[in-house]
Amino acid sequence: MEQMIEVTELVKKFGDFTAVDNISFSVSKGEIFGLLGENGAGKTTTLRMLATMLRPSSGHAVLKGYDTQKEPEKVRAQIGILFGGETGLYDRLTVAENITYFGELNGMSKDAIKERIRQLAQAFGMEDFVNKRASKLSKGMKQKAAFARSIVHDPDIMLFDEPTSGLDVTAARDVHDFILRCRSEGKTIVFSSHTMSEVEKLCDRIGIIHKGKLIECGTVDELKKKHGNDNLEELFVRLVGAK
Amino acid sequence: MKLKHVMIVLRKEIKDLIRDRRTIISSIVIPMILIPLVNIVMGGGIQKFEQDMNENVTVALSQSSNTAEIRELVRDRILSKNPNIILVDTDDPVKALENNEIRCIIELESSYKEKLEEGKPIRVTLQYDESKSKSQAAADIVAWAVDEFSAEVIEERITALGLDPAILQPVQIERMNIAPNDKGNNMMLEMMLPFLISMLVAIGGIPAATDIVAGEKERNTFEPLLTTMPDRGSLLLGKYLAVTLFSFVSLVAIMAGLSIGYMINPNSLTMGVDEGLKGITLEPLAVVLALLITIALGMTFSGIQIALSTIAKSYKEAQTYLSFLMLATMIPGYATMFMQASDLSPVMFVLPVMNTVAAFKMVLSGSINYFNLVLALATSIVFVALTLAFAASLFKKEKVMFRN
Repeated sequence: MEQMIEVTELVKKFGDFTAVDNISFSVSKGEIFGLLGENGAGKTTTLRMLATMLRPSSGHAVLKGYDTQKEPEKVRAQIGILFGGETGLYDRLTVAENITYFGELNGMSKDAIKERIRQLAQAFGMEDFVNKRASKLSKGMKQKAAFARSIVHDPDIMLFDEPTSGLDVTAARDVHDFILRCRSEGKTIVFSSHTMSEVEKLCDRIGIIHKGKLIECGTVDELKKKHGNDNLEELFVRLVGAK
Repeated sequence: MKLKHVMIVLRKEIKDLIRDRRTIISSIVIPMILIPLVNIVMGGGIQKFEQDMNENVTVALSQSSNTAEIRELVRDRILSKNPNIILVDTDDPVKALENNEIRCIIELESSYKEKLEEGKPIRVTLQYDESKSKSQAAADIVAWAVDEFSAEVIEERITALGLDPAILQPVQIERMNIAPNDKGNNMMLEMMLPFLISMLVAIGGIPAATDIVAGEKERNTFEPLLTTMPDRGSLLLGKYLAVTLFSFVSLVAIMAGLSIGYMINPNSLTMGVDEGLKGITLEPLAVVLALLITIALGMTFSGIQIALSTIAKSYKEAQTYLSFLMLATMIPGYATMFMQASDLSPVMFVLPVMNTVAAFKMVLSGSINYFNLVLALATSIVFVALTLAFAASLFKKEKVMFRN
């Protein structure tokens, strides 16, 4: 199967502190790869390196054939990203203007953006508020707008950095549905979380990251079998505690 | 770096900032209304104050001097050439002075008549209240009137002796103003306008700069932006140009406000102090150079403001840093504010803010030194490059960009 993401011996140091310590993994096309770890484990730093926001101290990350350090612009053109917590919309712009801005920055033509907004508004049920300013929207509406904005340029790779952090059950479920929808469209997904249930529910494979090191990698079933434990949470605690 | 990306960011930032009430109020509404209004009110106040000082100068004779003879002398001779001085009749002049009914009390010594006839000096006492500016001014006005009367008496006495009064003036001073005929006294304008232009351009971009980087970080819109295709240089330049544009928005707003103020009351421009726009002749080349220096100043400060906003973790932190910048900007502004064009040294043309103040003072005074103006422009361009490079280096620093 085509490898969309290949991470090789990736290291990120901030002064003396090693945030990401020699991690390697790959993600195939259409796969959901979960990075599971506690707060401060190095998940966000890894995703930031994949998104070219941070330069690795050493090692490589190649997304859809483009090296993050050699061709960062081309990498960014292939990815969509969604962060947890705040939706990161421009409050003074309308939903359509928010989406248009990101479409333009990602090299889309005006006509293509217009058509894409129409499609996305229909897909996410945003027709009633697509021309309203983001500041006037409810949290749920904002979340839909953020989903739409992240995929306006139809990226092949999606990065989700703890996307359900701080959300209620319904909103978290909407995020899960969006992730599954992205997979059904053939997108490759890297998803970071510290919630076992959603990782178990969504991910084809997981990598457990602890203190910057990738301590386990495989499907949930493979890991359960390997460690002789049917409960992912217990398995995680045992692995993390042992290290 | 791609121009297309720069323009996309610039367009978005302009749209976003125009919809920000805080930016509009601080960049447009306040400069456009408040400063011209202050000028009109202060100008009117100064004019009224001057008018009040010089008109209706009420005086009275002291109780001991309040005789028909002295009254006649004071009214018909001493004060006759000063219709603005009104001699009031009152029984208790000290109380009248306390109650602001009069501003000054005149007392002549009792033997004044004999002494006048004998050609001896007479003593005139002026009682006034130094704690009251009108009373103090009235004492001066009456003293001038007494001096004039004294000069008249001297002339009469000299003439009576058969001499030419010119004998008392062995040297005659003649002052000649060699300034061009069309050149008026524009001291107030030369003081205020260059300072105002420089300060507004230097600090005008602060609300925009605060919102555009630190504000974005706080609202969590910055990280998604960094994951889009454009490189950081394009994002920075788009934001930088937006801040620079807003630096001039305040200037345009205040100029519009001052123009409206001028139309309502021409004296508002200079607070009624000097001749305003009268007598100003502008050298086109010097004006162009001064404008270029101003643009460079705006760009220099936009670079500094973007840099400080990038360093800040939050909107509030950026506001703190930028308010320090505002204070720092005022120092060179005030240092040159009260100087006249002839007092400017070449050093002032190589320092930011000072150079813009100096350039406009020169332009308004009409005494142009093109070497200094070109020097100011050249150094300003260097400052633009340095500050922009500094901001760009911060945009590339992970420690700064992801401080939180």
